[in-house]
Amino acid sequence: MKNILTLLLAFFSTMALAQVQKGDLLIKNGTVLTVTNGTLENTDVLVRDGKISRIGKDLRAPRGVETVDATGKFVMPGIIDAHSHIAGSAINEGTSQVTAEVSMEDVVDPLDVGIYRALAGGVTSIHLMHGSANVIGGQNETMKLRYGTMNPDELRFEGAPRTIKFALGENPTRGGRSRGIQPQSRMGVENMLRTSFTQAIAYGKKWDAYNADKSPRKVAPEYDLRMQTLVDIMNGDVLVHCHSYRADEIYMLMKVFSDFNIPKLTFQHANEAYKVAPELAAFGASASVFADWWAYKLEVYYSTAYNAAILTNNGVLTSINSDSGELIRHLFHEAAKTQKYGELTDDQALALITLNPAKQLGIDNRVGSIEVGKDADIAIFEGHPLSVYTVPLMTFIDGVKYFDKSIDKGDARIYVGPESSISEVMIYDRHNDHRCLEGANVMAFEELFSNKK
Amino acid sequence: MLRLHLVLLLSFTVMQTSLLAQSDPSGESAVTTTYAITNATVITKPGSEMKDATVVVKNGLIVSVGKNVSIPNDAEVIDASGLYVYAAFIDGMSNTGAKRPENMPRPQNLFTPDPPNDYAGITPENSVMEQLDIKSSSIGNMRKVGFAISHSVPYGRMLPGSGSIILLNDADHVDDIVLARDAALYAQFVGAPGAYPGNILGIMAKWRNLYRNAENHKDHTELYAQNPAGLERPTSDRVSLAFHPVISKTKPVMFDVSDMLDVRRAMRLQNDLGFNLILSGVEQAWGVIDELKATGTPIFLSLDLPDKPKDIKGDDKTDEVKALEARRMEFYNTHVGQAGALIEAGVNFGFSARGASAGKIKDNVMTLIENGLSESDALAALTTNPASMLGIDNVTGSVETGKMANLMVSTAPYFTKDSQIKMMFVDGTKHVYEIKEKKEKKEGEATDEEASATTGSDPLVGTWSYELVTPGEPQGGKMIIKKEGGKYSGVLTSNDGTPDNDMNNISYRDGELAFDFDIEAAGNSVNVVVVGNVSGADFDATASISFGGQNVELGLTATKDGK
Amino acid sequence: MIREMKNIRTLFAAFLMLAIVPLMSLAQEDDQVLRARNGKFALTNAKIYTVTNGIIENGTIIIDNGIIVAVGADVKIPADAEVFDYKGKEIYPGMIDGGTTLGLAEIGSISEANDFQEFGQLTPQMQALTAVNPNSTAIPVTRVSGVTTVWTMPRGGVLSGTAATINLFGYTPDQMFAGSKGIVMNFPSTAGGRRFRRLSPEEVKKRQDRALKTVNDAWDKAELYAKLENSDEVRSYPEIEALVPVVKGEMMLFIEANAAKDIVATIAWVKERGYKKVILTGVSEGWRVADQIAESGIPVITGPVQAIPTRDSDSYDAAYANPGIMSKAGVKVALRTMDSENVRNLPYHAGFAAAYGMGREEALKAITINAAEILGIGDKVGSIEVGKQANIFVATGDPFETATKITDLFIDGYKVPMTSRQIRLYDEFLNRTPGVDKDKKAIDIKKK
Repeated sequence: MKNILTLLLAFFSTMALAQVQKGDLLIKNGTVLTVTNGTLENTDVLVRDGKISRIGKDLRAPRGVETVDATGKFVMPGIIDAHSHIAGSAINEGTSQVTAEVSMEDVVDPLDVGIYRALAGGVTSIHLMHGSANVIGGQNETMKLRYGTMNPDELRFEGAPRTIKFALGENPTRGGRSRGIQPQSRMGVENMLRTSFTQAIAYGKKWDAYNADKSPRKVAPEYDLRMQTLVDIMNGDVLVHCHSYRADEIYMLMKVFSDFNIPKLTFQHANEAYKVAPELAAFGASASVFADWWAYKLEVYYSTAYNAAILTNNGVLTSINSDSGELIRHLFHEAAKTQKYGELTDDQALALITLNPAKQLGIDNRVGSIEVGKDADIAIFEGHPLSVYTVPLMTFIDGVKYFDKSIDKGDARIYVGPESSISEVMIYDRHNDHRCLEGANVMAFEELFSNKK
Repeated sequence: MLRLHLVLLLSFTVMQTSLLAQSDPSGESAVTTTYAITNATVITKPGSEMKDATVVVKNGLIVSVGKNVSIPNDAEVIDASGLYVYAAFIDGMSNTGAKRPENMPRPQNLFTPDPPNDYAGITPENSVMEQLDIKSSSIGNMRKVGFAISHSVPYGRMLPGSGSIILLNDADHVDDIVLARDAALYAQFVGAPGAYPGNILGIMAKWRNLYRNAENHKDHTELYAQNPAGLERPTSDRVSLAFHPVISKTKPVMFDVSDMLDVRRAMRLQNDLGFNLILSGVEQAWGVIDELKATGTPIFLSLDLPDKPKDIKGDDKTDEVKALEARRMEFYNTHVGQAGALIEAGVNFGFSARGASAGKIKDNVMTLIENGLSESDALAALTTNPASMLGIDNVTGSVETGKMANLMVSTAPYFTKDSQIKMMFVDGTKHVYEIKEKKEKKEGEATDEEASATTGSDPLVGTWSYELVTPGEPQGGKMIIKKEGGKYSGVLTSNDGTPDNDMNNISYRDGELAFDFDIEAAGNSVNVVVVGNVSGADFDATASISFGGQNVELGLTATKDGK
Repeated sequence: MIREMKNIRTLFAAFLMLAIVPLMSLAQEDDQVLRARNGKFALTNAKIYTVTNGIIENGTIIIDNGIIVAVGADVKIPADAEVFDYKGKEIYPGMIDGGTTLGLAEIGSISEANDFQEFGQLTPQMQALTAVNPNSTAIPVTRVSGVTTVWTMPRGGVLSGTAATINLFGYTPDQMFAGSKGIVMNFPSTAGGRRFRRLSPEEVKKRQDRALKTVNDAWDKAELYAKLENSDEVRSYPEIEALVPVVKGEMMLFIEANAAKDIVATIAWVKERGYKKVILTGVSEGWRVADQIAESGIPVITGPVQAIPTRDSDSYDAAYANPGIMSKAGVKVALRTMDSENVRNLPYHAGFAAAYGMGREEALKAITINAAEILGIGDKVGSIEVGKQANIFVATGDPFETATKITDLFIDGYKVPMTSRQIRLYDEFLNRTPGVDKDKKAIDIKKK
């Protein structure tokens, strides 16, 4: 594949500053779904140096700029998955219930062929999240799917705000039960949150005192990256994304955050968020939900597929995510389900997978809509993206093409193990696909076999 | 790189071997420790060859090298006509000589978020010296294939302790073979068993936390040492203390990292924290060549190579099969060609033997040479490069006057198919080997002493080597079955140090062997059921595990040892 | 449906729905229960997709006591029929899912709530039908999306049990029973399954041969049993007895095989054993051996279509294109979701299959008449024909499109209320009373 070869050549860079490829192109005559400015028929989009530089009719391509004919096709902002576990070498540090100090940026795996498959579904950015076995989990990594490199630094979404994973409900309590520690109930979950923040406040005070101390013979207090991260959260430097399901625990977290003065909060999955939609709107919290997954656990038994529509209609900023290497490939279809379950308009549905997740990740100044000045993260479809018959054709990031159905060669692997079998078959099982379900049970199982020499 | 001071150690060793009066009923002692190796082709260092030369060894040192050098009158003259003399090889990292310690039992009421440091494997204060066993057969096995020196590292988890550079000699006491004690802080990305930090996520964060605290501890310690007045006293935290020389850059950290992503993680820690880094055990270096050049990080490539892919035979292969085989072969070629690629890019490297079977090392080096590594670069990677990377190049790594007598004598140019090692000199001690007509491939070093059960005609009784295919790396060990009074009993040992498991409910009928065993994981006891067929010396089974609502089946195969 | 017109139509539809929703709420006061009703119905003025006899642009269907008694453009409406004017709507046969655990699985993570897997390798006598929970929350959730009949099946082991077709309406399993059963078998698999099996091809073959021996032993016994079963001396052996109807050609045998090698091995095995009513299920890699499947004449139930390709080296759309490739090669294909709580997505799996090579017409057949015929109830359901059971749904457009609404539902001739717990929750919470104001004194959510 030409673009992969180009990228392989391009990965020669120093570690400190991974040179990100930026492209120029002209997308001509498509139906442009801007998300923020309605639908523009027969419209061109000009990209220069990785940014959308002009949107209009009859634009001309400057010399040397490639033209893509989008006549009869649909052009939309690249899809953003606000909850993903692809491209990660490890997902959950499940041995402690509070692990704010760990970060997914250390475990990015650029070789996962799932990245390419997501690109083939129009996805350009993902929020690689820590697992949900811990009440306070690790920091997440917002990424662009620049597939084709062996250097994880090239997948960074430069400048994206820091985010962190929290989890409530059955996953952390199951973890506590299997390890014989707290929490083993939702009461314990709340207690752990409050205790952790309280400890962090004390930690912060100690260090503030140390830093203010002008004496030349001062001794530093113990450094604790975990506590420091919690301090950063309370200072508003880290956005919290909380895995949660039940209405009561969603409500609980808003109260905790209110008590600790943390105004920004996104609830992930939040299958019962619709039951506290007014509270979410009043607090200003947002939700990132499934289109229609339910009944896999007790805490999602009382879900409704109308969740996203109810939230949207109650003024809650809502996105739809996948939490799955399979679902991520058709997020456009998941978003379209909100037209069945709640009659969201086209722009409302498209926003669920573009502008809204961008806002929740704090990257909406860069991506999430087709506007001049934003990054040229763009997906082109045959057929309207919200139609079941749509076929993703091309996906661009920073104006560089990373997926093109017409030249797709099939085998998209970057690395092939020399000792691998050429005909290894793995039958898809949806039960193994939902990585967020990797609570303590599966963690402990993986531990059985994590004892390397 | 740091130069190491060896004066005292070296002279003490020399004194031991130069006792003038000796009595030895075993007859193993040497008559003289002065040797003159004559008429040899001497490769003094890569690219520099001397024909019809003589090497004189006395008191463990190379006294002279050249044509027409004078031979001391107490020398044993060894006519090395037709033989080739090289500097003996230096292994950058392995567990040679170390014995795996018994697994630490899981503490009662283990608080998994905050386990004791030793349980978590955070013991940078330890040293391989505590694990070295002078009787270990691995020392002889490595020496036999050309190595005089190994940087031996301890078994363990995340921070097992420091490695020491040892001479691969037989001796009475471990201290006798140590060239440089605690030369580097050894680190791996191996998590604590069921406790924090459990995997790479926790390990990376733990490193940052430990290091930062160690820096503060060092500052505090120094401040206090200058003048304690009014200061709270620094703790005697052994972990922080172990990091002090790392922080002051007098001791490097050697990270054992095989795949390219782990290599990058080690480099990222180095970038964030600032210590001196040595990369070792690297299997996938081609993806980081630019970063290696930019940072100048010393690197030891693993001597373990992947097996060559076995393409399907036949002419009627589909295009798809051909394409898939081609891609797989392409990456095999990348693996075996990376040594040459590094040289081309101007990156020097050494070799590390950990993970490689001693008997396969020469074949693997030959494979690298076939795929782009020149013979002189291969020799450099085995001798001069590791010497310099380990800071011992002032005393060894080449055949030059004044250096240690670490020599390898080969029946032919070493990098040829049929060459055999006839003699080794380690620290001036001569070792002679039988030259075989047909080259036998020996098994790799056995680091554990395994008890072999009596083998009778019973199909089960005996010691089996098993492999369990798991989500992580395959797990292996021994399955030892005994029979007493008609009843079978057995035990599964594990190569990675987890405790032995009793085999329960052993039943054997019509060739089918079934048993179960329990594993401890995260406070739970998990039962594993193994059922399979025994045919001759092969056992082919499935291990079924039911855990947390999930049912998993893994493959388990075993082969009977011996005969 | 033309997308460009979507926005206007959607807004209009939304306005209509908003008008209707309060009415629906009123219709469901706490003490009022929506009931299904039987009788004589006339469905008029609609575009009818009969599936087997083309499309009737403006037609009428008469349902009487559970049976379709008339279909056509010019049908006389009986005087005592309840008439429904479906102008502007489309009518389809109820969709049929060729493989689910619906009714046998309530909450995934709670083993007590799952009844589709019994202990033991050879358990063909286990009856899925009896274990179906007719009151499973997922059943109404599924049928309001137009799926009216499913194959619900046991899983696990070599011979998992006896599956059955059920209509998604009824208060006992027998009321739900749609008319056919079959033995479920899992052909010994060479696939990696759970990502960690890395055995050499020789070891894999050895394993499969050994497992096949177990399978063959069981079927040999069944054949022997069939010969001896009239003798008084033969002991009861439920596991083997259950296989006898297959041996005799009276009962269908559904064999799950996914890897290409396994599919081919299954076809050879079936030929060798000579069993007649065999269906291949799973068939994830059917596209690799489509010609061989076609040649064997064995029909296929495949899915889920929305799945990850079986091999890392496969093209990203391998699973989407799978049904279409087989169908083009001449294989008779039905689709399945292999789900329990989201069987409602069957039309979307079909839509993806349609978009990636199967075409809309074949995809529709794959979830209607093909599925019915393959499952042995082709004479009862799967198309809108006189004499068939009245399993029908009414939609605002193409049911494969997500924006389409299913507005009316008939199962077994009953007009089934368009309600489910998820719809009731929507009604209750779209505009919750009280909203947040009542709580404001107790908690101050937004601090300054």
